[in-house]
Amino acid sequence: MTEPRAAPAVGRVVATELKPATPHQFYFWTANETTIGIGAIVKVDTRATGNGQPATGIGQPGRVVYGVVTDGFAYSDLATPLHDVVGAEGDPERAAQSPTARQEIRLWVAAVLRQEPEEPLQPVPLGQVFVATDADVAHALRMETYLASAQPTAIPVGLYTSGGLEAPVYLDADFLLGPEAAHLNISGVSGLATKTSAVEFLLSSIFQYFPAHKGRIAAVCFNVKGPDLCFLDQPGTLDDDDRRRYERLGVRPEPFGQVRYYAPFKADGVNLNTLRTHPDLVGDVEPLVWGLQEVLDFAEVLLNRDDIDAKADAFIDFLTDRVLNKEFEDGFGGTHSVQSFADLDGLFRSIFNGLEMAGRGDSWRTHHIATMRKVRNRLSNISTRCKGLVTDDGLPNDLPWGAFEDRAVYVVDVANVDPLGQDLVFARVVSKLREHLERRGLGVDAVIVFVDELNKYAAADGPDTYVKKMLLDISERGRYLGLVLFGAEQFRSQIHRRVVGNAGTIVYGRMDYDELATPGYQVLSPATKIKLATLPAGELMVRHPHFTQPIFVRFPRPAVLRGRDGVERFPPAADVSFGEAVVRQLVKLDRRIRPNVVQDLIADRSPDDVRRALAATRQARPEDPLALFRRVLGSSVAAAVGARAREPVPPLTSIADEPY
Amino acid sequence: MARWNDAIIAAGAVPASHVPEESLGRADLTEIADAELVEDRELGVYPVDPTGVAPSTVSFLDGIQRWQVAYYDGVVPIVRGYVAAAVRRRTDRRLRTVREATRHFHAAARTALRPGVLAALEESGVELVDIPDVAAAQPGRALEAARRVVEGARVAIEKDAGERYVATLPADEWLVLDGLLSESALLARHPRTLAVVKSHAAQYFEGDALTRALTIPALTRTGVFRPRGRARHEVYSWYLRLWPWEGNDLLFGLVRVEARADQATVAAASAVSGWLVRERAPVSTPDARWDRLLYPIHDVENYLKARAPRDSLPLRTSRFPRAS
Repeated sequence: MTEPRAAPAVGRVVATELKPATPHQFYFWTANETTIGIGAIVKVDTRATGNGQPATGIGQPGRVVYGVVTDGFAYSDLATPLHDVVGAEGDPERAAQSPTARQEIRLWVAAVLRQEPEEPLQPVPLGQVFVATDADVAHALRMETYLASAQPTAIPVGLYTSGGLEAPVYLDADFLLGPEAAHLNISGVSGLATKTSAVEFLLSSIFQYFPAHKGRIAAVCFNVKGPDLCFLDQPGTLDDDDRRRYERLGVRPEPFGQVRYYAPFKADGVNLNTLRTHPDLVGDVEPLVWGLQEVLDFAEVLLNRDDIDAKADAFIDFLTDRVLNKEFEDGFGGTHSVQSFADLDGLFRSIFNGLEMAGRGDSWRTHHIATMRKVRNRLSNISTRCKGLVTDDGLPNDLPWGAFEDRAVYVVDVANVDPLGQDLVFARVVSKLREHLERRGLGVDAVIVFVDELNKYAAADGPDTYVKKMLLDISERGRYLGLVLFGAEQFRSQIHRRVVGNAGTIVYGRMDYDELATPGYQVLSPATKIKLATLPAGELMVRHPHFTQPIFVRFPRPAVLRGRDGVERFPPAADVSFGEAVVRQLVKLDRRIRPNVVQDLIADRSPDDVRRALAATRQARPEDPLALFRRVLGSSVAAAVGARAREPVPPLTSIADEPY
Repeated sequence: MARWNDAIIAAGAVPASHVPEESLGRADLTEIADAELVEDRELGVYPVDPTGVAPSTVSFLDGIQRWQVAYYDGVVPIVRGYVAAAVRRRTDRRLRTVREATRHFHAAARTALRPGVLAALEESGVELVDIPDVAAAQPGRALEAARRVVEGARVAIEKDAGERYVATLPADEWLVLDGLLSESALLARHPRTLAVVKSHAAQYFEGDALTRALTIPALTRTGVFRPRGRARHEVYSWYLRLWPWEGNDLLFGLVRVEARADQATVAAASAVSGWLVRERAPVSTPDARWDRLLYPIHDVENYLKARAPRDSLPLRTSRFPRAS
């Protein structure tokens, strides 16, 4: 306990039969002009004696209670509004000119944060009320247990601000990133740049304060809309208030030092499908390209609810176990080596033709032809809809599994990818993270996965998709693995309850009135709801396991370039021609490569061959990229024949037209 | 407190907790008095000056009295009395207390008390005020005498607070008090003091003049007159109607103003009345006397009530015998 301070009391606890003080709530009044407001932290100290008189009140002498203001009332001694009308003779101007102002009261309701002594738990005594100091805030929020321990685990999240006081508020890494509790959920209306900014600031804070004894940490951020996360390595604009807040929080205002960007190609297979295509920056973006192997592992993502049956599963397992990357005889005299979508489609055509020739139209190796057609359609569908992410026959390019770097951010930009492709990317990346973390082979000990738009991926209603099941799995098991979900959404009430329920830390930005009217917010007072509905950008309400009540904090703007500003400062480059794009990618690998040499090499060559050669070069990263590119590209005749022999994957028929 | 309380009981007094209803307020003194017209030869009626405004800084004085029967020594009631007065100064439309006085005392007929009880009372450390000329009898007379003692104490503490305050009253400030200005020579002759009298038990006119005085329309005043009779010190006075009385009661919204007995008072009566009319807002509801009770006076009264000892209030709980 701290000694009574010299600061004057700002209020006094009152209790009546109708408004009694309880162990968890109390009322107090203040002067009409006061710094107290909703969310203010106050301290009731019965040891403070005011004008030299002994402290009096119910409860034990010496009891100290910390509370947070949850509601406020003001009223005068006016018996009925009609009397005010009578007094002013119906003229509002006259009411304002009355010689005496009516007596008014500012009556506040505070929820108890902490009592000392904690046992026996008793009603709040009728003591004097003080504004909390820095030390009081830390004590009220029980932060001293992780702020001043032998191995501190405190992560600055923002400043509690009230009446000129700016006290840092910390989260406990053990409860934010595991293993005690984990995950963070942030909700708020769109368009205020609060959710993304808050996560960016918090990531920066985590990277600077993640305790050494907890190991290495990285973050994987899915950029699902616009340029939000495309400029995390670029410094943003801060004002003096921001810098002061950074200083107060002890966080260095700097952009992320290590950011790796991944984005799929556009349909042309050479231009990156991202807004980070400014010539000065595009060199940092790695293509995200997956082949059949990568997709087949997550085929379930591609199947809609009606598709999920044992037969389809069995056939996909058959393809994975018996066909993929093996010499395989189709039973009609053909031998196939399936390594790509094109190879797989060749196999399917061979089987269907064989069945037709043999007059056996219904099954092949116990698999019904309808099941086979369905699986073929789904797999073909992804290569068509996500062309650029999924390569028909090129080499994959993936995140650095097993070589994640400490304090690095991996941004996977899927903003412009087909929703099905987004699901696939999300499912595969998270599954691989889990796989590697389970065997401690990722390169870091903990990974924060930031997913925006949880309303889309983990909606409370709607079908149980693979992505949703995976998010549930992370939410429930992730903290043991070091896989931490930072989810953001607009409507928390519409998120699967097990996803938000497992989030140890809940953050609220400005909320929609309709959202606040849902049952999940019934525990909040009307005043707190109104404050939430009008929160300015940069202010949040935080719930954390150590805090017995939600706390409002203000955080500085993240020190990174906001997506919108980034696009203005680094306007995306227009798509370049196929040849120019190939040149740029090769020059990125070796600046000595002369563009005209590359242009001559690829002239009259099939784009598929060029893409394949480029992918091989990119993956190998040899000392002489041009030589490897030339070698893989091969002779023009052979490559051209091979390319022409391959037919494009036919488009899907709609699900409704299927005969099953 | 418990120790001397025990001592009084040990000496033979029986504890009691009777709070007479009349302990909460003062009683009107019924009186047929006389008045001398000052402003005109026949009592005139004048409209208030609508341009009259309140001085920028005005203080308001009021007092309260509380008493209850705390013990009985045989059939002799021993009364615990409490009186208080406060001056609250108004600046920027807000009232703040600048002077406050309180007095606790016991009141009893000393001669009727048994020696042990008297000794215990005297040793209690609380002032003991004698109620003279009351022999041991039915308690009604003693209680009426006690009420007079308490009221006298209240008037005295109000007077003292007012006199002390006006002694330092700045040149541009006024003092308005609830009650009679004529109780104090110092207050009665001060150029910037006013008294607003809400009770009209004293009758100063008769015949047409009485009718005119008590039926003046809203926002008018009577001519200034000099009250005679009980007034100890000379003051000027006039009636002022704050609210229309038609449809209510004859005395509804009617106050009597007292001010220094000086020609300047006559000259300023309409402007001062205009000022007092402005004091109608805010109305002092829920007090039943809101039609005559100025809000600042109501505020002083509320302040004093809030600070009064809780045990001086009438019991709102059952008077069933206690289980113990």
